[in-house]
Amino acid sequence: MKKTSLKGLDMTLYSEVLSNGLEIYMLPYANKKNYYVTFVSKYGSDVIEYIDVTKKNHKPPLGVAHFLEHKLFEEENGIDPFSFYAKSGTDCNACTTYDNTQYMFWGNKNFNKNLEYLLKFVTHPYFTSENVKKEKGIITEEIKMYNDNPDYKLEMKLRECLYKNHPRRIDIAGTVSEVNKITKDDLYDCYNSFYIPSNMFILITGNFDPDIALEIVRNELDSNSNKKIPKIKEVVEPVKVNKEKEIIKANIEIPKVAIGLKVSTKNIELKDFDLSLYLNMLSTILFGDSSLFKERVRDKKILNGFYTGWEHLDDISTFYITAASIKPEELINEVMNEFKNVKIDEESFNRIKKVWIAKEIRIVDDLEYMADNIIYDIIKYDKIISNKIDIIKSMKFKVLKDLIKKIDFNNISIVIMNKK
Amino acid sequence: MKYIKKDLGSYNLHLINTDKFKTITVKVLFHAPIKKDDITKRSIISNLLLQSTNKYNSRRNLTIKSEELYSADINVNKQRLGNYIFTSFNLQVLENKYTENNNFEEAIEFLTEILFNPDVENKKFKKEKVDYVKQDLLVKLNSIKETPGRYSSIRLFETFDNKSPLSYRIMGYLDDLEKIDEKNLYETYIDMINNDFVDIFVVGDFDNKEMISLIKKYFKFKKIKKPKKSYILKNRKARLKRLFVKEEIDNTQSNLSIACPIYKLTKYERDYALVLGNLIFGGGVDSKLFRDVRETNSLCYSIFSYYNKMDNMIIIKSGIDKINYQKAVTLITKKLDEMKKGKFNEDDISSAKEELINYLEGLDEDEGRMINEVLTEEILESDDIKTRINTIKKVKKSDIVKAFKKVHMDTVFLLEGVLDEEN
Repeated sequence: MKKTSLKGLDMTLYSEVLSNGLEIYMLPYANKKNYYVTFVSKYGSDVIEYIDVTKKNHKPPLGVAHFLEHKLFEEENGIDPFSFYAKSGTDCNACTTYDNTQYMFWGNKNFNKNLEYLLKFVTHPYFTSENVKKEKGIITEEIKMYNDNPDYKLEMKLRECLYKNHPRRIDIAGTVSEVNKITKDDLYDCYNSFYIPSNMFILITGNFDPDIALEIVRNELDSNSNKKIPKIKEVVEPVKVNKEKEIIKANIEIPKVAIGLKVSTKNIELKDFDLSLYLNMLSTILFGDSSLFKERVRDKKILNGFYTGWEHLDDISTFYITAASIKPEELINEVMNEFKNVKIDEESFNRIKKVWIAKEIRIVDDLEYMADNIIYDIIKYDKIISNKIDIIKSMKFKVLKDLIKKIDFNNISIVIMNKK
Repeated sequence: MKYIKKDLGSYNLHLINTDKFKTITVKVLFHAPIKKDDITKRSIISNLLLQSTNKYNSRRNLTIKSEELYSADINVNKQRLGNYIFTSFNLQVLENKYTENNNFEEAIEFLTEILFNPDVENKKFKKEKVDYVKQDLLVKLNSIKETPGRYSSIRLFETFDNKSPLSYRIMGYLDDLEKIDEKNLYETYIDMINNDFVDIFVVGDFDNKEMISLIKKYFKFKKIKKPKKSYILKNRKARLKRLFVKEEIDNTQSNLSIACPIYKLTKYERDYALVLGNLIFGGGVDSKLFRDVRETNSLCYSIFSYYNKMDNMIIIKSGIDKINYQKAVTLITKKLDEMKKGKFNEDDISSAKEELINYLEGLDEDEGRMINEVLTEEILESDDIKTRINTIKKVKKSDIVKAFKKVHMDTVFLLEGVLDEEN
């Protein structure tokens, strides 16, 4: 087993790759009772079209990755996951994102049997026309639940404005009409293509013995054969935003706005984690809790509820702001002024570094949060970043200044959501 | 985890010693019998105190100070528990061994600056700060229907009994907002500081003696006071005929909420039999409601029941299509009747026991849950965790059936989504 020390956190991460390509990552804690275990396929709703190993082209209905996640909880014989985990008072769940699907359980008892069961249920699909049909009603209600949320609608509209071709403009769960087209064959095709050892990994954090856990994984999955990952049809996403402005109506009282900045990162030397840190630093200085912008718009009483974030794709990163405001146009002007006249200061830069170092230390206490971070590293960077604190410490103000020169701050989409 | 409680006269100090975290958490909890007229003012005050202080006169300066303290996280939380309103100020900060100098004491001092040295002139809060917080609350109150699940619960309780504290909107009321000014807010603030009951919780790795003297140094309240009014809410009499109420909303999904008050529970039923019974009935993904309404009949994505001990109430929630309304209510009613008739088996009981015991055994992994547990143990005078685990193991099926017979399905509220699917 490979051991990687997570610098500054007094933690060691163990990892191993089976001969069939399956990766196992383990982060044991000495002072915890609980464990948190995830089995991850690097397959999410970003895959729209693919060519399987027999060279056959597939373009299943939208939402198939998410549908598959629901249906893996179906068992042909014996006990299903909900009942199995309930017996030992263990919680279980699953989730589908744009770029991965996760199956997890967490608790403080029965670790070995629970792990064995996870490996079994995820690797033994059982789809029938009946059980596929039954799931459609459940997923329809799930989609409707999200569609009734104005903030979610706003985000999806912003995605449509930012991206022309990329699947990030489409809802992870698909649409009601697409979901109704999904068949058991679609599910089996996707399953057989993407739920293969070399496209999956296991991550365990918390209270467990790494040697025993590895032994269980070997016993269950070592014999699964190595398969080639299908070719995913790539989409070409233009740098330019798809649509600059859109005004929509919804069942709300106070208007909402979403602003997205689409950044081409192709010609930026910084890559991966470093790039995400500097971009995040920029947006935190400009729009963070201690920014001058926040103070100003608060004083003007034009800001209510404010969220920001980054999404990083190959060669493109997008920054988004969503907010509620009684004067949406005025708020948009304030944001645009920040972009047109980017001002950063070294004092804020150094203070935010300190905040981030503290956050890196704090997240270790939370098994699930820690697991999410490791999963993000594996999916995004294909490696574990074990010296994040050192990297943050070594950030230089000049690098940020140089980065700013390479960003086109005019490449923006705006969505305004008004009352119906 | 080691727990001790110190009665410091004007407040209780609860120290929970554990080496599981890299942070220290401090919660200062104010509580008082809830008064409907004060809710909006309290809602404003709690946010106002986090906007600025006498020393840090803007939200930005306040945020910069907390960032300099290695991102000392301070937030406020308001909730109603039974007959009382709780306002808690929470600080979470890295242990000193990960910081420079005496960061923790500085963070405590900072918390007391926020609580006891507000941005006030001539016994009034500053107008521009009050206006901002009022406007922010106005927006939130106006956006209440954007969270249909929560809105439908509020409407359910108002329909159930609009005089009961159960129905009070903890976020506040639009009508009251207009009556609020800088002066009456300050008066309510002073009333809260002087007259509320106070409990302070500290969780983390520290020396108890040092912590007690530190807390005593910074937290001084004048009066000695002890709660008299019971925390547990008493519901109005059960309706003879079930009440069905509908309200339309421009959504695609309908939100079903059902109030089931509980009468004459014994303490044992409250803390054991009904807790287990609710887990079997609608507590999670292996529950009767989830199995039948979602998995077998495909009527919903989310369905659960929640047992609130303080309110003597089980609440059932689900998101459904309006055309399935009758079917869903019939199924839920059937499942509730089956609980009363004992139509569940020993496996169901044993799963529920495991879940509850695991929850209790894993409490010390989470600061927030630990504090909540200590708090509810105290106000409900429940048994300690060890006793509870042992008692849970002995609960019999007949105990659960007996407790469930005291649950009455009383009010059914449908927030009816009237839009088409693909809207």
